[in-house]
Amino acid sequence: MLSKKDLEKLAQLARMDLKSAEEEKLLKDLGKILDYFEELKEVDTENVEPLTGGTELQNALRDDDGDLVLDKGAALEAFPEKSGGFLKVPPVF
Amino acid sequence: MHLEDLTIKSFHDGLKNKEFKVLEVVQGFFERIKKEDGKIHSLLTLLESDAAARAEDVDAKIASGEEIGAMAGVPMVIKDNILINGFRATASSRILENYVSSYDATVINKLKKNDTIFLGKTNLDEFAMGASTENSAYGVTRNPHDLERVAGGSSGGSAAAIAANFALGGLGSDTGGSIRQPAAFCGVVGMKPTYGRTSRFGVMAMASSLDQIGPFAKTVEDTEIIFNSIQGKDPFDATSVDVEYSPENDPKKIKELKIGIPKEFFVDGMSAEVKNGIDESVAKLKSLGFKFKDISLPHTKYALSTYYIVVPAEVSANMARFDGIRYDRIKNLGKSGDKERSALWDIYFKNRGERFGAEVRRRILLGTFVLSAGYYDAYYAKAQKVRRLIQNDFKEAFKEVDVILTPVTPTTAFKIGEKADDPLAMYLSDIFTISLNLAGLPGISIPVKKYKIGGGELPVNFQLIGKHFREADIFGVGKVYENN
Repeated sequence: MLSKKDLEKLAQLARMDLKSAEEEKLLKDLGKILDYFEELKEVDTENVEPLTGGTELQNALRDDDGDLVLDKGAALEAFPEKSGGFLKVPPVF
Repeated sequence: MHLEDLTIKSFHDGLKNKEFKVLEVVQGFFERIKKEDGKIHSLLTLLESDAAARAEDVDAKIASGEEIGAMAGVPMVIKDNILINGFRATASSRILENYVSSYDATVINKLKKNDTIFLGKTNLDEFAMGASTENSAYGVTRNPHDLERVAGGSSGGSAAAIAANFALGGLGSDTGGSIRQPAAFCGVVGMKPTYGRTSRFGVMAMASSLDQIGPFAKTVEDTEIIFNSIQGKDPFDATSVDVEYSPENDPKKIKELKIGIPKEFFVDGMSAEVKNGIDESVAKLKSLGFKFKDISLPHTKYALSTYYIVVPAEVSANMARFDGIRYDRIKNLGKSGDKERSALWDIYFKNRGERFGAEVRRRILLGTFVLSAGYYDAYYAKAQKVRRLIQNDFKEAFKEVDVILTPVTPTTAFKIGEKADDPLAMYLSDIFTISLNLAGLPGISIPVKKYKIGGGELPVNFQLIGKHFREADIFGVGKVYENN
């Protein structure tokens, strides 16, 4: 069962503020979902190779020939702040 | 010409015989959209002037006697998590409210090369997380068959738009049923290709090991035409695969395919309407000469738990890019007053806390939990092993049969609000569709019969599952079904 402290730790790891009003509902919902997952314990997975992705491909390589041409103006336009043709980010220190 | 009766096939024939112009049809659809989408809310953004300009280009080609392809001039609607250069792409999230795409998704690029026309961008559950379109930050999409009910999700906008005759085809994305389930609720055809068949480049990632792009249309034949024009290997998606596609059109050969019925999919909790619909489709296929066999997929029961561990884990990683630095930023943030936090952390915490909706935040937290130290083995590693067992079940079954038939959903479209407060109940509505995504298999959702708007009946679809890269089998059986 998740505690309020566990939930706050998760929010911290996910870099996401939680509203105090929603914490109780989140705890209840996540608790129910985690209880449901308990059924997996009964599955025998001894010597089972995990399926780690959707594809059986290995080493899918391609030439680095840069044939995708992005419109720099549009890409810049999509950024929240810019200055003199550069992306502008807030001070981070 | 009646827009309700047009299919991609008959539209193409009509263009070649000069019965109408692309521009007339496009304008006809926009008239319908403006008159009727107020009550359905399937579209978030209209691309009216772009669509008209592109329609005129195709008309000019036809007038000059140029040969046109099967998708030329076809009016389509596109789920709003797929990028079209120069137009807004919100994924129904506040965090992308003002985001304008600066390039085309590969599937869009392919359609553009085929002269396809885009009428608008359709509503979805935020970042495709949901089964009812109720998680959209821009309001719910209503089911054209009953406005009190959901259109399904997450690609509810595309499904509703096709059912309401706002376009001839649509694109959606399917991570656990997000094309097939809304197709079933709205009584249209929806299809999820084999993982790797369509490129995911330019589509906002939800759970990268399960996401696939696929088509919606009114008929199986139309759905296959769209599928064939968007599929294929793409150097920009390293998981896409180079396997040639060739449709199967010979009914005699198609009827040699053996169809399996997995007993685990016929469980308690399936509504009478759905059960009757599935019985009707099986009876019809039998009368057409198809042979059936009972099969077993013993790990089906565990697919839901497996899915809701794997998906949030991938979601928590994919959503990390929405950090308040890129895409969108709350202005005049102010300081949190928390001395432990840097200014940068304030930006992360506040933007992600305020701009993501409840379901997205729930999945990020759940994903963070199942990947966190001390829980990884019990949840994520365990789920990956069960995922292997689910795939093995299908491999075994496909030694005995060529195609598997199942229901798409346990019930017909549910009422708006009915499951909105209970995430687990909402997750359970995906129970028949998710195992395909876990195993990477193709599936198609086909209406048991034609459902007319105002006919007083809620649609029921059945699902056909094919072997890896054998989309031709499920399209084939579907075409035989709808042509008889």
